[in-house]
Amino acid sequence: MRIKALHTEGFRIAAIFVAIFALSAAVFTVITLFIVNEEFQDQIVQFANADIAAVKDGYRTNGEAEAHEVISQRMAAPGASDFLLLEHGEKRLAGNLAPMPHKTGIFTLPYPGNAAGHAILGVGVFIAPDLYVFSGSDLYHARLARRRILRTLIWVFLGALGLAMLSAQAVSRSLLRRTDIIGRTCRAIMAGNLASRIPLRGTEDELDRLSETINAMLDRIAALMDNLKEITNDIAHDLRTPVTHLRHRLERARSQAATTEDYDQALEAAIAASDDILALFSALLRIAQIEGGARRTAFAPLDLGQLLAQLGEVFGPVAEDAKHHLCLPLNGPASILGDRELLTQLFSNLIENAIIHTPAGTLVTVSLNRENGEAVVVISDDGPGVPPEEHDKLFQRFYRREASRTRPGYGLGLALVAAITELHGARVKIDTNAAGGFSIIFRISLSQS
Amino acid sequence: MKILLIEDDPETADHICHALRAQGHEVEESRDGAEGLATARSGQHAALIVDRMLPGLDGLSLVKRLRAEGSQTPVLFLTTMSGIDDRVAGLNGGGDDYLTKPFALVELVARINAIARRGDPRQHVTLHAGDLDMDLIRRTVHRGGKLVDLQPQEFKLLEYMLRNAGRVVTRSMLLENVWELHFDPRTNIVETHMSRLRAKMDRGHSVELIHTIRGNGYILRAD
Repeated sequence: MRIKALHTEGFRIAAIFVAIFALSAAVFTVITLFIVNEEFQDQIVQFANADIAAVKDGYRTNGEAEAHEVISQRMAAPGASDFLLLEHGEKRLAGNLAPMPHKTGIFTLPYPGNAAGHAILGVGVFIAPDLYVFSGSDLYHARLARRRILRTLIWVFLGALGLAMLSAQAVSRSLLRRTDIIGRTCRAIMAGNLASRIPLRGTEDELDRLSETINAMLDRIAALMDNLKEITNDIAHDLRTPVTHLRHRLERARSQAATTEDYDQALEAAIAASDDILALFSALLRIAQIEGGARRTAFAPLDLGQLLAQLGEVFGPVAEDAKHHLCLPLNGPASILGDRELLTQLFSNLIENAIIHTPAGTLVTVSLNRENGEAVVVISDDGPGVPPEEHDKLFQRFYRREASRTRPGYGLGLALVAAITELHGARVKIDTNAAGGFSIIFRISLSQS
Repeated sequence: MKILLIEDDPETADHICHALRAQGHEVEESRDGAEGLATARSGQHAALIVDRMLPGLDGLSLVKRLRAEGSQTPVLFLTTMSGIDDRVAGLNGGGDDYLTKPFALVELVARINAIARRGDPRQHVTLHAGDLDMDLIRRTVHRGGKLVDLQPQEFKLLEYMLRNAGRVVTRSMLLENVWELHFDPRTNIVETHMSRLRAKMDRGHSVELIHTIRGNGYILRAD
């Protein structure tokens, strides 16, 4: 656990923070020491200047003797400079320093006896042509202060570093504990416990949010798998019927067929039955593919009005032969973005439904209008309609109304319509129209241009 | 004619060979993409039947290479059911037609006949069959010198039949090429339009031009 904690993202981030902290602490220390040093030196120079000003004052009022007096007074007073010197030419008049070269301005001198760690900083000035004054103080105090500050800062720094490292480890451990929980849940799911979910702490932090997202993803996958299971069951169930029919036909041919013609007929029927089974598979695969969303690549601008008009020409004669009336009030054009092939199949399907599932003499209307930036296609008939409680079920795979069970088909038409609609981000709704007949309303966004 | 079949599944290949040989065609077989490409390069074939999924070199890449090398040999692609979406890619990649497995063998034979004999690249202005004349510019049809009044859909249907005169044309070929419907409709679109076309064309004539082929299609014959 301890070793593992060193290899976590949490620890890496904490280590980076500690490094940044150490660097800024070092910069802070250097700046502090520099400022302290400057401050001390300023102080020394200020004292020296005050001394020199007083000596100068004394000299001006009462000559050398007064200057001498001032220096003696100053040397005795507390809080004054450590060292003073008044020299006339080469001769020392007053002070506690040995004679020295008459340097002017601010400078440093070695400490008497060259004591380690000590040095004198001071100011030298000629107050008269031959009269030299120096005032200065020991730099040792500044040095001591600097050292004390440095020592304190180092202790504070080490303490903070230790705390930072401890908290880094704590953070990475806590992160590790939580990611371990996520990992454990995933492994449990991999091992087959599909209902397993990551426990949430309710803190709404990023890990909680991530866990929530993963849980939502797992829910979605579970729903898809349930759906798949359902479809597999449906397929297995619905496939039994045509396969059984096929088998019955072949058995009957074997036991009853007497002539070549009988065999021919039986074979024709068997081929037709297997074609039906293959058609069922194709329809299912097509729905699966469309639901997979892979076909969005085939989207292109198209005019829905033109597409419907063309379908009108194709299905007009078909409707007529089935004794239906097909009427297309199209207020086109309506340019949309979509897959022409799939939309053709969608509307063909709806028109065919209207022709197949209504009695002779029914009027089927396919209208196109533009409303609020949408193209609205309504396919309605004045047939007997469908009770509202069945409307939602109509879009389910393999759902077949009692009335249509005797007709060929597998109940996949509207499931396909739903899949194509979904792919296009469109909406489809079933309704009962004023004539009591069946209406299906398809809405899709018009393209911008 | 000589047809090259590049298909890795032995059973499918066997069925296809059988059906094509029964029609009097000579079939050469290849089981993988690389070998198939080499055979196809000899350029001795009237048409190629290429499976999309092949070991070695996939069918689409194979045909793209042949086309890049300037080969004009017609190609019919075969694909598994899951590959509905591949049709456009196949046709863009140089295929002339596309058939989804499983398919009826009559369908395959009809389609291979249609693409292999499409030979004449000249743009037709008129099409003829017996005493029937179609003017593609004026969009008119005459039979025995008399104008036949056709709806646009009927005209398209007749044009397709004339372009494929003498060959069996299946329902799905008509649905795809005349009405651009790439699915199996539940209403009898083909039969309805065909019977209307026939009624208009054959009215007052003793010879029928379009014949129904039992099993799966139609043929326009002028003799």
